[in-house]
Amino acid sequence: MKLNMLRRRTAAFLLTFAAAASVLTLTASADEPYEVYNYNRLGEAVPSQAGYLAERAVSGIDLGAGDLNSPQDFCRGADDCFYIADTGNSRIVKTDGELTKVLHIYSSFTMPDGSRTTLKNPKGIFVAPDTGNLYIADTDNSRALVCDTDGNVLLEITKPDSPVYDQGLTFLPQKILCDGAGNIYTVLSSTTKGAAMFAPDGTFLGYYGANAVARTAKVIADHFWNIIASDEGRKHSNRAAPTAFDNFDIDSEKGFIFTSTSSGTTDTDIVKKVNPEGYNLFSYLSGHKWGDLFSTWYSGTSYKTRIVDLDIGEDGSINCLDQTTGRVFQYDKEANLLFILGGTGDQVGTFSSGGSVTAVETRGKACEQICVLDAGKGSITVFSQTGFGETVHTATDLYNRGYYEEALEPWQSVLRQDGNYRRASLGISSAYYNMGRYKDAMEYAKRADASWVYNKAFARYRSEWLRNNMNKLLVTAVLLLTARLAWKRYRKRKGGAPA
Amino acid sequence: MMDLTQPQWVRHTVLHPFEGFEDLRWKKGGTLKYTAVIIAALFLALIANDRWCGFQFRPLPDALFSVVPYLMRSVVYFLAWVVGNWAVCTLLDGEGTMKNICIYSSYALIPYIVSTFINVILSHILVQEEGVFFAAVYYIGLIWSGLLLFSAVKAVHQYSITKTAAAVLLTFFAMLVILFLAVLFLSLFQKVYVFFYSLYTEILYRIRV
Repeated sequence: MKLNMLRRRTAAFLLTFAAAASVLTLTASADEPYEVYNYNRLGEAVPSQAGYLAERAVSGIDLGAGDLNSPQDFCRGADDCFYIADTGNSRIVKTDGELTKVLHIYSSFTMPDGSRTTLKNPKGIFVAPDTGNLYIADTDNSRALVCDTDGNVLLEITKPDSPVYDQGLTFLPQKILCDGAGNIYTVLSSTTKGAAMFAPDGTFLGYYGANAVARTAKVIADHFWNIIASDEGRKHSNRAAPTAFDNFDIDSEKGFIFTSTSSGTTDTDIVKKVNPEGYNLFSYLSGHKWGDLFSTWYSGTSYKTRIVDLDIGEDGSINCLDQTTGRVFQYDKEANLLFILGGTGDQVGTFSSGGSVTAVETRGKACEQICVLDAGKGSITVFSQTGFGETVHTATDLYNRGYYEEALEPWQSVLRQDGNYRRASLGISSAYYNMGRYKDAMEYAKRADASWVYNKAFARYRSEWLRNNMNKLLVTAVLLLTARLAWKRYRKRKGGAPA
Repeated sequence: MMDLTQPQWVRHTVLHPFEGFEDLRWKKGGTLKYTAVIIAALFLALIANDRWCGFQFRPLPDALFSVVPYLMRSVVYFLAWVVGNWAVCTLLDGEGTMKNICIYSSYALIPYIVSTFINVILSHILVQEEGVFFAAVYYIGLIWSGLLLFSAVKAVHQYSITKTAAAVLLTFFAMLVILFLAVLFLSLFQKVYVFFYSLYTEILYRIRV
C-alpha cells in the first residue's frame, strides 16, 4: 500500500519534471540574438513573440560576385531578382530571388552612341516593375541613368539647365525611382525642396514632396518677428528650411511615394505618404512616433531612431530601417506597429552599431521575407516570417480590409500566442461588435484598454438591453409609484404627519 | 426651536446655504466625528471617480494608479485649508476656532462628494456622447459646495460678505505658502536623512577596516 503510494508520487514527480524540462528547452531554442519586444498601450517596451527570425546572411563571396564594397542600396524587381548597388566597386550586381547566386554583373553600360560608360559610386538603384528597366543614381558622375536589362543606356539625366534649378547647386543623385507614368524622381543631397522630378524624356519638371518645416519655438518666433519687421529687416531674417528627406520608395500598385527622413534633430515628417499631387497623406499622424518611442542616453550620447530606408511590401506594409539600432520596424498600411526585428551585435540577424545598415527590401505577397543590406559587412541578412508573424499578417490584412468577422479566428490565435498583443484584443472586439455580441466586444475592449471602442459597444449593448427590458422597467416604475401613493394615503388616514 | 440631532444638522446646513451655518453656530451643533467621516468619504469619492466609473469614462489605465495623489487631494488639501483659514482669520478678527472651521468646512463639502458619487453611478449608464449630463451634475455639486464653503466661512467668523471674500482669497494664498513650505521641509529632511545615513555607513566601514 505504502509502496504503491510512493511509486505514484515518484511517477507524478517525474512527470512534472519532464514537463518543466520540456518547457525549459522550448524557451531556450526560441532564443533570438536580440530581445524581441513591442510597445504596449502605455508606450512601454514589453517582451513579445518574434514575427520574423533571422535565417541567414549572404555575402558577396557567397553569391560568387566577390566582396561587396559598402553597398548603399538594393532593389527587388518584378522578375524576383535583386539588383544591388555595389557602391564602392561601382557596379550593379544582379542576383536571383533566393540570394543564392549572381545572375549578372553590370560594370559598364552601352551609351546610345555605342560608346561604353562606367559608374562611379552609384548610391541608388530602382527597377521599374512594368518595364524592368534599371534606374541608377550614378552619384559621383553627377547623373542618373535609365537602362534596360541588357545594359543599354536609354536615357541619361544630368544637371538640368532649367531656371527653376539653382545652377550653384551640385547634382548628386542619391536615390532614384520612377512612377507608373514613367516620371523619374531622384533624391539630391543639395536641396531641401524635395526630390527632383523628371518627365520620362528627361526634362526637369520641378521638385516633389518636400517635408514641412518643424514648428519649433524658434520658427514661430521668427514668423512673429517677420510680421512686424520692415522689408529691409525681412530680407536679412532667417528663412525656415525643412529637413530634407533622404530616401523613398513607391507603392507601385497604388502610386503613392513614401519618403523617409533620417535626421536626428527633427520629429516632423519622418515618414510621409505622398500622393501624386505632392500632398502628405500621413499629415494626420503628426504625433505619431516612428521607430523607437524613446531615444536612449548612454554616456552623453543620444541614440535616436534614424530611418535610412523604407520599403513598401506587396501587402502595403511599411518596413522602416533604423540605422542607429539596426532594427526594422514593420508597420501595417495604417501605420500601426506590427513587429520589431534586428538589433546590434555580431550574430546573424544583428548589425554592427554606429550605422552600417543602408537598405531594406521585402519579398513575397505577405512580406514572407525581409532583407536588410549591411554596408559595413557587405552582406544581406534574410529574415523569414514565423508562424506567429503569418497569423498576425493574415489577421491585419483581413482587419484593414474590413473583414472583421473573418479576422476573428486569426486574432484569437494571435492572442493565445502573445497575450500582450493589443491589436489582437482590438480586432476581436471589432469582430464581436460586428457580430452583435456587444457584451464580448466590451470585454475585449476593456482588455485592450480602449475606452472609445468600449463606448461604442456599450452604447449598442445599452440600447439592446433597454429594448429587451422596457416592459419590466415600466411595470416596476408603475408599481413603485402606486406603492408610494398607497403608503401616503395610509399615513394620512392614520393621522401621522408626513415625514 | 431648532433642537436637531447631529444627522439632522448635516441635512439642515447642506439644504440651507444662506442661514444653515448661522443656525449651526447659534445652537453649537456639529461634531468632529462627522468631519472625519466626510473627509474619508471625499477620499473615497475621488478614487471612485477614477476607478469605479464605467469603462467608457475611465481617465487613466489601471497600471498607473497610485493612492498618494488622492490622499493629497482630500486629506492634505483639507488640512491646509483649515490651518490656512485659521491662521488668516485669527489675524482678521475672526471668531472661529480651529475645531469649528474643521466642522463647518467639511459639512460644506458634502454636495461635491454626493455629486461625485452620482457621477460614478451615471457613468455606468451614460455613453461618452452624453457626457454633458455628467458635467452638469459635477458643476452643480461644485458650485453648491463653493457656496456652502463661503457661507461656512462667513458664519464661523461672523464676517460681512466682502470680508469673507477677502478671507477666502487670503486663505488660498496661505494654502499655497503652507504647501510650498511643506515640500521644502520634506526635501530638506530627506537631505538631512541621507546625510546621517551616509555618515552611519561611513562609520560602519571605518570600524570594519
